[in-house]
Amino acid sequence: MEKKFKRDVNSLQEVFTFIESFIEAIKLDKSFTFSLNLVAEELFINMVKYNSENPNNISISLKKANNDLILKFMDYDVEPFDITQTEDYDPKKPLQERQIGGLGIPFIKKMVDKILYEYENRCSTITLIKHLRKANV
Amino acid sequence: MFDIKLMTDKNEILLEGRFDASQTDKAKEIFNQVNSTYSVDFAKLDYISSAGLSVLLMTQKRLTEAGNQLKLCNMSKHIKEIFNYAGFDMIFEID
Repeated sequence: MEKKFKRDVNSLQEVFTFIESFIEAIKLDKSFTFSLNLVAEELFINMVKYNSENPNNISISLKKANNDLILKFMDYDVEPFDITQTEDYDPKKPLQERQIGGLGIPFIKKMVDKILYEYENRCSTITLIKHLRKANV
Repeated sequence: MFDIKLMTDKNEILLEGRFDASQTDKAKEIFNQVNSTYSVDFAKLDYISSAGLSVLLMTQKRLTEAGNQLKLCNMSKHIKEIFNYAGFDMIFEID
């Protein structure tokens, strides 16, 4: 399944509907809804926030291959940003030292088993792979 | 759908539905009115993302400076897991 979404925070409901249709289509246990919606929101919002003036839509494709769920996000005409190279999150920071934001990518890293980043012709492609055998969060 | 109710008589906030990035303005309107220790009831909340956690963190930082805090209760298993992963179990009292 593949669909393009307007680069807008208000497209989120449509993104969730798309994810939930996929879960239903492949007869996946509904307990995956939380984690798949979470990774989709975090990545989609990251793309919206850091390229808000970009007029291009964001493409999301979802598929199941053997025991893997594969979520592919494509963002067109953007600067490179490799999310696999971001710093590790420190959950032990005291309250007053914590900055607002910065939790989205750590959540993605926690929820999926593998993240692939490709950048070609000014298009960023981020592929998230979640193994179905793993107990879902 | 996301709903948030401020129960000033009980010092309580009730959350319901899906607290995602499109709902942060609505939530901030309520949390910004809180100036004492409040309990936040998650019993009817199905989902929260990092955007929702940021609203809670911002409020907790402001309240603790004056010796107050948000206390969180009735979280689902999924929500509790991400709070624990974020280390928010160390900065919020969670029942």
